[in-house]
Amino acid sequence: MSRYPMKTVVSIDIGSTWTKGAVFGLTASGLELLARVSVPTTQSNLVVGFHETLARLLHQDSHTSLEELKDRAEVFFSSSAKGGLRIAAIGLVPDLTLQLAKLAAMSAGGKVIKSFSFSLTSSDVKELEKLSPDIILFSGGTDGGNSKYVLENAHKLESSRLSCPVVYAGNRAVAEEVVNIMKSREVIVTENLMPEIGQVNIEPAREKIREIFLKRIVVGRGLAEIVELFGAQPKPTPLAVFELISAIPEFYPEWSDLAAIDIGGATTDFYSNTESYLETDTVVLKGIREPKVKRTVEGDLGLRVSARSLFETGQDYLQDRLREEGLEFKDMEEFVGRISDKIDYLPVGDKEKKFDQLLAEACIYYAALRHIGGWKEVYTPQGKVYMQTGKDLRRVKAIIGSGGFLSEERTAAVMDIPLRKLRNYGEEIKLLPEKADFYRDRYYLFSLLGNLIEKYPREASTLAVASVEKLNQKGEQND
Amino acid sequence: MENQKDTIVIGVIGSDCHSVGNKILEMFFTSEGFKVVNLGVMVSQQEFVDAAIETNARAILVSSLYGHAEIDCQGFRELCIEKGLDPIILYIGGNLAVGKTPFSVVEEKFKKMGFDRVFPPDIDLKQVAELLRQDIKEKFGSCSKGQEARDRANQAGLENQSQAANQIGQGDKNDRKEPEGSTAE
Repeated sequence: MSRYPMKTVVSIDIGSTWTKGAVFGLTASGLELLARVSVPTTQSNLVVGFHETLARLLHQDSHTSLEELKDRAEVFFSSSAKGGLRIAAIGLVPDLTLQLAKLAAMSAGGKVIKSFSFSLTSSDVKELEKLSPDIILFSGGTDGGNSKYVLENAHKLESSRLSCPVVYAGNRAVAEEVVNIMKSREVIVTENLMPEIGQVNIEPAREKIREIFLKRIVVGRGLAEIVELFGAQPKPTPLAVFELISAIPEFYPEWSDLAAIDIGGATTDFYSNTESYLETDTVVLKGIREPKVKRTVEGDLGLRVSARSLFETGQDYLQDRLREEGLEFKDMEEFVGRISDKIDYLPVGDKEKKFDQLLAEACIYYAALRHIGGWKEVYTPQGKVYMQTGKDLRRVKAIIGSGGFLSEERTAAVMDIPLRKLRNYGEEIKLLPEKADFYRDRYYLFSLLGNLIEKYPREASTLAVASVEKLNQKGEQND
Repeated sequence: MENQKDTIVIGVIGSDCHSVGNKILEMFFTSEGFKVVNLGVMVSQQEFVDAAIETNARAILVSSLYGHAEIDCQGFRELCIEKGLDPIILYIGGNLAVGKTPFSVVEEKFKKMGFDRVFPPDIDLKQVAELLRQDIKEKFGSCSKGQEARDRANQAGLENQSQAANQIGQGDKNDRKEPEGSTAE
């Protein structure tokens, strides 16, 4: 195997549709991408697709056993676990603990399927039972603060037919009581998401969710076999990207203040790594101070599985863009119907490609709208003051497109057009990146490199930075 | 025993950004043995109420210095009731009206709006703290533990402090006449 330098490192991501993998050579000078493959995910037994990917990456025939392959490379892997861990978030006040619960769930690589504030009603509980989440993130009250709602909700959860584990990250003063009430449940107690008003503490809850994810994800479908054989735990795919986005600026300060967008078939993920609020005399922050590294995931925005809901959510934006492009609304409606029925459909001809592009633009428009905060102008007797809610992305210098679609985009148009349109959104001034360059994750490596972050943070960051390509800002829109 | 302190929420309501007095109130009430949640300046009714719910606060102390309190506080008590904060104690203090309206008129107006106590800008803060302790005891049957003992021990000290705070409170009034450069653009 002289073809391989000092060490061979493999990273595999088991997605819901494709199992993607890459093999890297690790030398003193860093990581080098050697090959990249994708095979269809084998849903009934994930090991089959994993095995094939690994064999192909290592240039072995498919009869070589996993044991044998194992000795040829150091293997890391992630799994999207059917599109991410499904989390139900329970908080007290919508703008405070519930908002933090949602942020914690999303930055742990989960998908918030439903959120609840104040008291759970009996129909809320029924809905929860029907949704059957993987985890319930249960919060409410500052430490020593409100306990009424949390205790009430604990009783309701205890008497429900839910079976998933509950992560309790609420008022510390009643944590023991909550555990006692929910005797028949698996309750994992962690630090309060908001120990004091305005104090954000989502890391401990994130860590607990990640631990549960690992335990859950390996059950069934053969993953346990892989874990045992390779002695490594899988990462949730979105968490892998989150960790990469967190790590890059540590090694490359010139890449501080960055954002990444990943549009998939089912979801759109938006990541940002920049200070969320700069305190000045003329800007007052309202609500919580959001974390520096933030991920939001939008379950209703996606290019295939979620195309129909995207088409609904994105009406305003799409109507506007169709007019500009001189395209018919009903033609697009028909296209959306076609791709929703057949999710592996590839667009044919310029018009359909344009439709696909418009859908991607709409994903970015609405994902950015929800991720990025804003300013409202307020006139006070002391002069003009801005009230900020949410996160300030003005200083973001680089926006990287990843995922199957954006990795293939050769111009910045798909990202640039919707972000520019957001500048005139309502009365609020959106805190959009002011002078950002656009890049693409040329080999669609971000999630695979994210798997290596724990062991090879510098090397993975270096390759990530080297493999992005700067896009033409003006963008030939008619291309 | 951190948990036994009574929590109060303070802040300056509306589009008012007088921040000096607000910080003094935080220091003062903290030294009086309360757990103070300070929301700072330009606080909306909703924010006061949200913070009071999460922290299980006994009282909300609203400040206003710029003369628009009446408009800003419209429906405050109703919002509290709507959100299930029925027994919460509401205080308001500061320059609550523009011009030379007699204080008794102002007081009546705000009491009608559902505020339990209304204070002029030159009130002795020590007195406010006493009233607050009484009101909390009456409504919730508790008061800041250990406070009386501490009061006795620090009597002289507290006296000075409240006087000082009062003087600075007067200083805050001057802010109104000369808008603070720091909060204006």
